Amino acid sequence: MFNRDFWSEIFMALRRNKLRTVLTGFAISWGIFMLIILLSAGNGLKNGVTSNFADRIQNTYHIWASATELPYKGHKANRFIMLNNKDIQLLESLYQVEEVSPVLSKGGTLIFGDKSRMVSMEGVKPIYKNIEGIKVLEGRFINANDMKNKMKVIVLDKNSADELIRTTGETSIIGKSVFINGLSFTVVGVCKGMPWGDRGECYAPYSTVQMLYNVQEFYQLTFTTKGLDTKEDNEAFQKELKKKLAALHEFSPDDQRGVWINSEMINSLETMRIFNTINIFIWVIGIAMLISGVVGVSNIMRITVKERTNEIGIRKALGAKPRSILLSIVMESLVITTIFGYIGLFLGMGVMEIVNMVLSAGGQATAGGTEMSVFVNPTVDIKIVVLATLVLIISGVAAGFAPAWNSVKVKPIEAMNYR
Amino acid sequence: MIKLNNINKTYFGAQPLHVLKGINLNVEEGELVSIMGASGSGKSTLLNIIGILDNYDEGDYYLAGKLVKNLSENQAAEFRNKLIGFIFQSFNLIPFKTALENVALPLFYQGVNRKKRNTMAMEYLERFGLKDWANHYPNELSGGQKQRVSIARALVTSPKIILADEPTGALDSKTSAEVMQILREVNATGITMVIVTHERGIANLTRKIVHLKDGIIESIEENDPDKMDFTKEIK
Repeated sequence: MFNRDFWSEIFMALRRNKLRTVLTGFAISWGIFMLIILLSAGNGLKNGVTSNFADRIQNTYHIWASATELPYKGHKANRFIMLNNKDIQLLESLYQVEEVSPVLSKGGTLIFGDKSRMVSMEGVKPIYKNIEGIKVLEGRFINANDMKNKMKVIVLDKNSADELIRTTGETSIIGKSVFINGLSFTVVGVCKGMPWGDRGECYAPYSTVQMLYNVQEFYQLTFTTKGLDTKEDNEAFQKELKKKLAALHEFSPDDQRGVWINSEMINSLETMRIFNTINIFIWVIGIAMLISGVVGVSNIMRITVKERTNEIGIRKALGAKPRSILLSIVMESLVITTIFGYIGLFLGMGVMEIVNMVLSAGGQATAGGTEMSVFVNPTVDIKIVVLATLVLIISGVAAGFAPAWNSVKVKPIEAMNYR
Repeated sequence: MIKLNNINKTYFGAQPLHVLKGINLNVEEGELVSIMGASGSGKSTLLNIIGILDNYDEGDYYLAGKLVKNLSENQAAEFRNKLIGFIFQSFNLIPFKTALENVALPLFYQGVNRKKRNTMAMEYLERFGLKDWANHYPNELSGGQKQRVSIARALVTSPKIILADEPTGALDSKTSAEVMQILREVNATGITMVIVTHERGIANLTRKIVHLKDGIIESIEENDPDKMDFTKEIK
């Protein structure tokens, strides 16, 4: 059935109406082209945003100190709740909690030689590196030994480190002594600054900071969890934790504030949900565009079939079976949609590949002067190509079928006498 | 070869038109039959029914011993392809195909491969003196040439029956005579032939003349064409 003669008949039919074929095909090409561009852009946006979270483990929580909103058990509203060691003990007693790291923030002046710089020293535990996805560029992060021995070591951010050694001729600040508020620390590592702006965060062992400054209360706690895989699990846990913290600090469990609890898992699930919605939206728009192309093809096929009514009648008289008539018309429509669909597909992919090359060469597009990427690898994968092929085949058959079926139904003598 | 029992056909339009009112007709193998009648007498409808290009409402039609009734479009196509060759007044050649391709087309639907198809088609074109015109398109051919191409197309599948609907209707008298000569020669090889015409001159060249009037067979006239001098005036 599908031999050389079959195909040559179809391509002959298409060649006889070159302009019409091209114009019809253009609608399909355009639809697929836009679909690919939109999907690629959506992917780029998603890749860009998720790349900012990629190095953080997702089963993490942040707790922030905050003021109460409601009066409770004789306490007035607007009482500021600070976090302390009891909170750490409470968290460590929960089976869902894996590791806890408080964040003791201490602002100060960092001095090295004749350079000085304002920094925020964070007393943290080694796990904090994973929780925040801190990238160590040189040396190492705080380790368990630093914690145990309350070592006076520090990890500087890249900007501070660069600034300090800029004119000294040093190539690295690792191993050097720096002063923070007059106290001497040894630099053990340099890390990449946080994507959301440069506050000069540098990291020292929690135990050291607590000892040096005698800090008993702090604003922020972070911890990792285990076994909380779904949004529901996390919400339930969050509720339970709030209740326990409320009891500990004597504020109302219904208080919207008191302490803030924030789950990275829920945040990232929310983010993914947004991108999935965007993705669905893109498909809807793309398919809608494609439909207008398909309607165009169907329309042209109807005209083609009308024009060829006589010919079809003659073919029937000569012994053409309905299947052969049906197939030749459906295949003609399929050939138009697939060929032009693929032209659009590859043009779209080509354009996005070029965009990708430009982005990779000229650095990632970033938002607001921070190091946050918004657009990474805006391309589509092979799954989309397969899916688009499927869509094209289905739409090609759909476009050709109705006109083909009409031409099959008409009696040969009526077709031959049609003028 | 052809057996019609009480064939009735009505066109249901705005006003129902009873075109064939009980046709009984036998055509034996190898016969040369003409159907005559004024326009509107139902002669073309009868031919279309014989050619399975149209269906009928009542009666029985046997073609080569098989009942042709309520056939699926597939079976009908098979019958047309294998048993019947058509010749039309307006030739019905496909305009964008060469003479050769037109003649080869019925073989395409028989699944004959391209090479064999073209060889066979060429043989038939040669037989009708059209070898040099094989690669010409229909609009480059004269009326007589076109009709000879369509005769070649009708014969290429070696059918049992040739059905010709006003085969000379669009031709001048000289060409008509040539075409009729060809058709008679074809019939002489044993192929049954039914010709629809409204011209007495054409009918006179057949052995049996069926007179049709208002959907019924008025009379069937035996005729000896050899008494006629068909090279002279036939119109």
